[in-house]
Amino acid sequence: MSQKKGMGQTKNPRTGKYVKIDRDKGKIVSTKKSEGPYKNVPVIRKKKD
Amino acid sequence: MIYYNHDREVITDFISYEPRSCFIMTQLGLPLPNIVEKIRADLSTELSKRKIVELDANSYIKGKDFLNKIWKQVLAVPMGIAIVSKEMKVTTISNIFYEIGVLNALGKETIVIKSSDYDIPSDFIRTEYIEYDDDFSDKINKFLDQIFELADHYELMGESLEANPLLAIDYFKRAYLINGNSEYFMKTKVISDGKDFDMQTKHCINNFLSTEKRLKMRSKK
Repeated sequence: MSQKKGMGQTKNPRTGKYVKIDRDKGKIVSTKKSEGPYKNVPVIRKKKD
Repeated sequence: MIYYNHDREVITDFISYEPRSCFIMTQLGLPLPNIVEKIRADLSTELSKRKIVELDANSYIKGKDFLNKIWKQVLAVPMGIAIVSKEMKVTTISNIFYEIGVLNALGKETIVIKSSDYDIPSDFIRTEYIEYDDDFSDKINKFLDQIFELADHYELMGESLEANPLLAIDYFKRAYLINGNSEYFMKTKVISDGKDFDMQTKHCINNFLSTEKRLKMRSKK
């Protein structure tokens, strides 16, 4: 069984806005309209090679 | 991965993707206004430092419908840069802003470089622009830095959206177009192998994956 990854967020460097992603469903949930990250949503970091 | 052309038909043609490229939108016919010539030359210098290839509507003469050619070229690149000045004809500037609209609609990054005397049309106030002056090199490099950061963002988006292979592959393709990193082909293969996609999706994925072989063959010539 694959590991659950859950919700995450990452910042678009062009817009400066955070994008919330449901990694289990493969779905972009929303883009934050105001400044800063979503509360209680982990920021996704790049996988180490 | 369904794209429409200017006739509102679905594009099913093969797209010759050009990583690390830029679609230049400006006056091409001579004589060029001095300021346009100067901006283009300075832009070329900055792009070549980063090994970014310039393409414009004259890059490929294939005798087909001109608009069709532009749409396919736009799909092949990661970004577009427009150069406008007051000395240019209204008809030329109209074509340029039409092309910016096409690029934006197809998810490509754009920026307008304007001479100091040119006013951006009000509908385009949200379009990013830089004014050509002594700080041009810094300004255009700031834009290009952001674009390359965007490739990392797209990669992260692709990795985060692996549960949705079509979306993930599209992000890998966008990242690849910016930085030309061939690792995205492997990531795409890993995600797509063994998946039962519909014919149109398979065609889009194979079109992207074939870029690696096409560019290798081209570099051998």
